Amino acid sequence: MTTGTHRITRTSTPPRKLMALGAGILGTSLALSACSGTTAPGASSAGAAASVAPASSITEIDYFTDATSSDAFKKVLDTCSAQTGVTIQRQSLPLKELLPKVLQGASSGTMPDLAFVDNVNVQQLAETGALTPVDDYGFDLSGYVKGIVDATTLDGKNYGVSPAINTLALFYNKKMFADAGLTPPTTWDELKKDAAALTSGSRYGFAVSAPASEEGTWQFLPFFWSNGGDLTKLTDAPSVEALTYLTSFVKDGSMSQSVVNWAQADVADQFIAGNAAMMINGPWNISKIDKSGKVEYGIIPIPTPKAGQDPVVPLGGEVGVIPATGGATQAAAAEVLKCMTADAQMLEWAQGNTRIAPRGSTATEEIKALPVLAPFATTVKTARARTTGLGAKYPVISQALWTAIQSALTGAQSPEAALQAAQQSVG
Amino acid sequence: MTRVMARSGRAQVPTLTAQETASPAPHRGSGERRAWVHTAIGVVILAVLLFPLYWMINASFQASGALLKPEPSYFPTSFTLDGYRSTFATQGGNVVTSLVVSLGTVVITLLLATPAAYALAKLRVPGRTSLMLVVITVQMIPGIVMANALYIVFARLGLIDNYLGLMLADATTAVPFAILIMRAFMQDIPQEIMEAARIDGAGELGVFRSIILPMSRNSIITAGLFAFLHGWSDFLFAVTLTTGSAFTPVTVGIYRFMGAQTADWNGVMATATVASIPAVFLLILAQKYIAAGITGGAVKE
Amino acid sequence: MATIDRTGVRGRDMRSRTHRREYLVGLAFGVPAAVYVVAFFGYPLFYNVLMGFQNYTPRSFYTGEAPFVGLANYQTVISSPTFWPAVWHTAVFTVGSIVFQFAIGLGLALYFARRFPLSGLLRAMLLLPWLLPLIVSSAIWRWMYDKDYGVVNALLKLVPGVHAGVPWLTQGRWALVAIIIANIWIGIPFNMVILHGGLQGISADIYEAAKLDGAGSWQRFRYMTWPLLKPVTLVVLMLGLVYTIKVFDVIMGLTGGGPANQTQTLTTWSYQYSFQLFKFGPGAAVSNLLIVAATLGGLLYLRSLRRSGGAR
Repeated sequence: MTTGTHRITRTSTPPRKLMALGAGILGTSLALSACSGTTAPGASSAGAAASVAPASSITEIDYFTDATSSDAFKKVLDTCSAQTGVTIQRQSLPLKELLPKVLQGASSGTMPDLAFVDNVNVQQLAETGALTPVDDYGFDLSGYVKGIVDATTLDGKNYGVSPAINTLALFYNKKMFADAGLTPPTTWDELKKDAAALTSGSRYGFAVSAPASEEGTWQFLPFFWSNGGDLTKLTDAPSVEALTYLTSFVKDGSMSQSVVNWAQADVADQFIAGNAAMMINGPWNISKIDKSGKVEYGIIPIPTPKAGQDPVVPLGGEVGVIPATGGATQAAAAEVLKCMTADAQMLEWAQGNTRIAPRGSTATEEIKALPVLAPFATTVKTARARTTGLGAKYPVISQALWTAIQSALTGAQSPEAALQAAQQSVG
Repeated sequence: MTRVMARSGRAQVPTLTAQETASPAPHRGSGERRAWVHTAIGVVILAVLLFPLYWMINASFQASGALLKPEPSYFPTSFTLDGYRSTFATQGGNVVTSLVVSLGTVVITLLLATPAAYALAKLRVPGRTSLMLVVITVQMIPGIVMANALYIVFARLGLIDNYLGLMLADATTAVPFAILIMRAFMQDIPQEIMEAARIDGAGELGVFRSIILPMSRNSIITAGLFAFLHGWSDFLFAVTLTTGSAFTPVTVGIYRFMGAQTADWNGVMATATVASIPAVFLLILAQKYIAAGITGGAVKE
Repeated sequence: MATIDRTGVRGRDMRSRTHRREYLVGLAFGVPAAVYVVAFFGYPLFYNVLMGFQNYTPRSFYTGEAPFVGLANYQTVISSPTFWPAVWHTAVFTVGSIVFQFAIGLGLALYFARRFPLSGLLRAMLLLPWLLPLIVSSAIWRWMYDKDYGVVNALLKLVPGVHAGVPWLTQGRWALVAIIIANIWIGIPFNMVILHGGLQGISADIYEAAKLDGAGSWQRFRYMTWPLLKPVTLVVLMLGLVYTIKVFDVIMGLTGGGPANQTQTLTTWSYQYSFQLFKFGPGAAVSNLLIVAATLGGLLYLRSLRRSGGAR
């Protein structure tokens, strides 16, 4: 390599070059962090929203990406854009990418003026201070399902208004039931027996969705809550009973172990293909099942531990929130959101997307047109929001719970041990 | 001696044949037959390796859920072109967008990485090792962290929904890789050739242009190929640095068929199939150039 | 600028001038890339390292406040019951993937290096797994792996003696194997292309000479191809290491890190911390550990380069 003579002419040594690099990085980043990290631009104008003239154009973001939902949503947006005179610049992203985008916007002061997020995220977003309370804009929330208002309320202030909600129910294959001479179940015992009776060959009696994501927790909550389970007390008897119950389906072979890998969409596919006689799922599948034309199905409320009880189901659905982006844009966003949650638009969106209208009276109208949604509309009235009383703690509990569900369903741990591990990880 | 000979490239000559005998002049007929045997084996290898791809195309022609049978249908018996129809209708422009972005990524990457690779391989630049270590290390930064940070900066600079911005962002995945690959290949270029050129009066730039570049053609094309593929298949930067109001790369366009609760797998598969076609053409083209080998004759034996 | 040794022989003088010129040219050639790397990676790297020492929550995105907590995040991460399993899974996943990706890639590169009809086309088509969007690849493999309705088990059951399907994605041990296989499939083209390029750089003449000397094909490979391929092999393995540790979409798409964290790698775990639990501090801590791991890998690479006489 180098000889002694050459070394004289070297003018810099590696450490020095490293230092130069380090200085460059430090300098760039210091400069950038000095520029970014601005404080909330519109924070002080929340109260002044009512008196500011609305802007003529707003930016919007939502998670309705697939063609059907996207087109239905666009129709509502167009109607409201025409009605309010506000141009809406729309962006739709998959839900997984939506939150990072909103957070990036928060960092750089470029949040959208109107955002539709999953109700599970509202309290957390509100906690950051980035959202403005909807009370400031004079929304009329009378007749709204209590659950969804709970979901969006933090410290006594309401931070979002929902255009549509949904929940879970039991779908069953009418033909398979008729062939087996069974009636649809209403209690846990009946569900167990029916599932066992309907399992034959490559067909399973029952299917739920239990992946390593929020969907896993969401699908388990009807069983968990209906049995009296409490998300802050994962190791109590009602919680363990509920998980033991669900695990027993896999144990006796009436539910496939593959459910730990199925998203709700996959479960619906299995149901349509005739591989599952019953499934827990939501109203968004109705159009898919109808289109396939393969299954004659019925929908009933999820069976409860004992006869005569009402199931306690989790509340799902999107919520429109108004980030603090300045008085004018906030006012405009509020106008648009008010239009979107007016009876006519709410009805159009809920029907177009096969979800439930959150306002009781509108829901009743909706059921007249789509009677198949009746079971959902009834149960959603008493549905519970997942983040109630938990706020930002919910994601941690949810992750612990879905891990425990998977652990129990795959036989890696007993339900009791799994829930104990879950409670430990929550701390 | 072996090393020197190794570096004088040769074009158009088969490098290895496992069954070649020592006989100098194989009978032409048996040689041809043997070649087709290789082709047949090659096709079998391809069939096995690409089976999942076949499965995807199979799925894209069938109604959704048709594959969910204990004995799945290996051939599309229920044929439907719905997926492809909706794909062509909506994704055509996105394919062009992705092409533009990918080609831009290639240009940027090669412009930056080729001279740098040469400098790291051949020129005695102090701090070489540290720079290489940095280049290796920065590839580990999680994509989402890069996306978050770049978003903040780009938003400030107005580079959102901007072709150049996206190309520069995609190049972050390609440049370190290109530097390392080309450097590894350029190392083997014999010093004597460069010295000879310098003695002949060529300046450094001349050496670079007339010796290094032609002799590195393989690695440049390989690096360019990967830069193209990085730009083409990038999703994270595409989703972060665009708002859907200006242009949409095809990786993001695929979400037209996937929603929060539903997925039209026909459409998804069809999009993936259609989107792969331009890239396949480019691959075939690029492979031809790589197969041609380094231009020989630089070092006389 | 005068050299220090005034009485130096003219040769030394010329050499030093050449070296200076080389140095300046080297700088000029390297500066654009260096500027680009510092500009585009400097801030994210700094941001991530800093975040590892902060209590960073969604609130921090909005207000910019993120209290400094020293090594608390690292303590949380390392003392978590998921840590060592994640490290193990990452190690198994990485080694398993790279070994087979490289071996199969090399095999294919060697095989397709010959010229036979359609070899170019076939070789190009072997790149297709790399081209597919990862969303699509992971969805395909997920269906293929379904225990009851997947084609992998359907094909396996055709083998005499195999009665039950393998619980590919539902049992921890199998799930890890499943994601490794899928990752190998995706990574073969990468290895094959680069190794193919490397093989093309080896002259055929030396093989001719060796054959005339009576060397068999295995000997030709072991004593000629393999050593000559060393620089390319090293870079492929090192890049393979970096890319495999980073693998995220495949694992998330196939198992989500489950069932019950049994396929959780450090990368997926970092994502879970940041975007499912919204604890960005520990998330950054985990990814910083990965950056350290990659740096160590890089140091190893550079050392083996120096040893093989590569870095002149």
